[in-house]
Amino acid sequence: MTTPIAAVANCPSAPLIPPSQHPWAEVIHRLEAGGSMLPDTPENLMQIIGIYKAYAVPMDFYWRDLLYIAEQVFLDPLPAFKYFPSQEYLERPNAYAGEQSKLRLWRGGEQAHPELLAFMARGETTAMPKLLHHLWHDRINMEFAEACAQAMLWHQAMGGRFNDYLESEAYRANADRAIKAYFRRNPLMLGLYQAFPEMFLEKVKQLSYYANLGLFWEVMAPVFFEMSDIYDEGGFQGVPDAMNFLVKGIFAVAGRPIYHHVFIDGECIEIIPKAEGFTWLYEAALPYVEAVFYRTSPFRGTKSYNAQAGQVPSHQADFHYGILYADVYPVGSAGIPPTLLMQDMVHFLPPYLKELYKQHRRGEQDQLIQLGITFQRSMYNVTSAVIQALRAALFYPLDDTDPEHLLANRRFFEGQMDRFLRPEARLGAIQSQDYR
Amino acid sequence: MASILDTARAAGCFTTLLTAVELAGLSAALDSPGPFTVFAPVDEAFAALPPGTVQTLVDNTPQLARILKYHVLAGAWSRDQLIDQAQWISLEGAPVPIRRATPFEVKNATVVTADLLCDNGVVHVINRVILPG
Repeated sequence: MTTPIAAVANCPSAPLIPPSQHPWAEVIHRLEAGGSMLPDTPENLMQIIGIYKAYAVPMDFYWRDLLYIAEQVFLDPLPAFKYFPSQEYLERPNAYAGEQSKLRLWRGGEQAHPELLAFMARGETTAMPKLLHHLWHDRINMEFAEACAQAMLWHQAMGGRFNDYLESEAYRANADRAIKAYFRRNPLMLGLYQAFPEMFLEKVKQLSYYANLGLFWEVMAPVFFEMSDIYDEGGFQGVPDAMNFLVKGIFAVAGRPIYHHVFIDGECIEIIPKAEGFTWLYEAALPYVEAVFYRTSPFRGTKSYNAQAGQVPSHQADFHYGILYADVYPVGSAGIPPTLLMQDMVHFLPPYLKELYKQHRRGEQDQLIQLGITFQRSMYNVTSAVIQALRAALFYPLDDTDPEHLLANRRFFEGQMDRFLRPEARLGAIQSQDYR
Repeated sequence: MASILDTARAAGCFTTLLTAVELAGLSAALDSPGPFTVFAPVDEAFAALPPGTVQTLVDNTPQLARILKYHVLAGAWSRDQLIDQAQWISLEGAPVPIRRATPFEVKNATVVTADLLCDNGVVHVINRVILPG
């Protein structure tokens, strides 16, 4: 391997390393040139930015309600109102937006987004009490956010130390304190806790992932709003610009603490203290991408799987039911969590995306499917940003002149692309603009 | 000989690192007998991180301490000893790979000056902040 590298390295105009022989070599070379897995076309840029905006509005609700459930609803045995975050949580200042933010990288305000508040007031129907909106299912679909948190809980070991901590004695002791405090006036539930402690502990672990995901999305919402604003101002010149904006954002908040606090009668119990040192990048972002973009699990209602025939992988790490692999048509029409997200996003599409969808396929009739595919494109771009951020953090600059460093980058990119060799991957489809 | 921190102060190119160590509450530990091996990023290494990266860490000292501990090994290890082993467990808990002997590379950082001997350990000066993972 060294001889050809040395040979080409002697020629100043030649690349320092030979071309990749990987089946996704074209994409790998694009990544090595500072690009994204998503081709750099004006339409791709428009699609992904438009959908980031449409995603950020419901996300502004998801993070607030996830934290409300994790911190306030907690172990309520009949959580009928868990999708009704208190005014305090609706007004909770975003830690990474607004004047009070210590890190003022993104311009948006700290309050819930005006489009979100307008939708919560009127929904698709008309202004009416929020209980009626809820019962009519004319609301933000928190079930999607919960499905993501549950996917993170179920897949568990995906890097970082979060899951290890959930198995520790310290966590068990903290959770025990919170459970006993929460039910101190409820002898029935305390008795059930005595009889089935593991069941309660498992529920607290699930809620810790709610807090984890809420803290993760609290950052992503202002990032996506900012990207939409920059695009509207003509600021992004192409898909790589949008990806690099995400890369910088990932670094900027990488050290954000991930924790789980519970408030019981005004007292804060730290189930996962900030002092554990858990970070946004390692304990939230990377497990989230792994669990939600790549793995998740087969959704009921989309297809029948025969596990005995090997149609479902025997190892969780091989699961491939996330957005990067999704067949959007059945997923987008089955009433399952991804459909719920699409339904949430359709309310907040910018006008230019609505126009685009009218011009293609069945126009408004299948815009849920079209926006699902746009979402798929946009998440390939987010995944590209994560891959480039990891390359920057763990390997070498793209303009490095040491062939060994470039080969290390190459091996890293090829390893990432190996995950898209399976036929379900949509990486090939998104290379074409005809995939809608 | 001087201590690890005194050596870093005298060098004049570790202002950010020394501030971070102070904020993270690791000064006393690094002034203890140890011994430790410290991979010390120069100021330019911190400045090369994207905007906000250092500030977020400075605002959250347990997280800052975690990143700093990734730059420290228990024991005093010279370059020659380090290159004999593919990876070393840091005080943060994650392994630090030794990727190349010449030039001497620790993870994705290049050691610009190796084997600064101190009272309580060894300092290797690196050109990049290294991150676990």
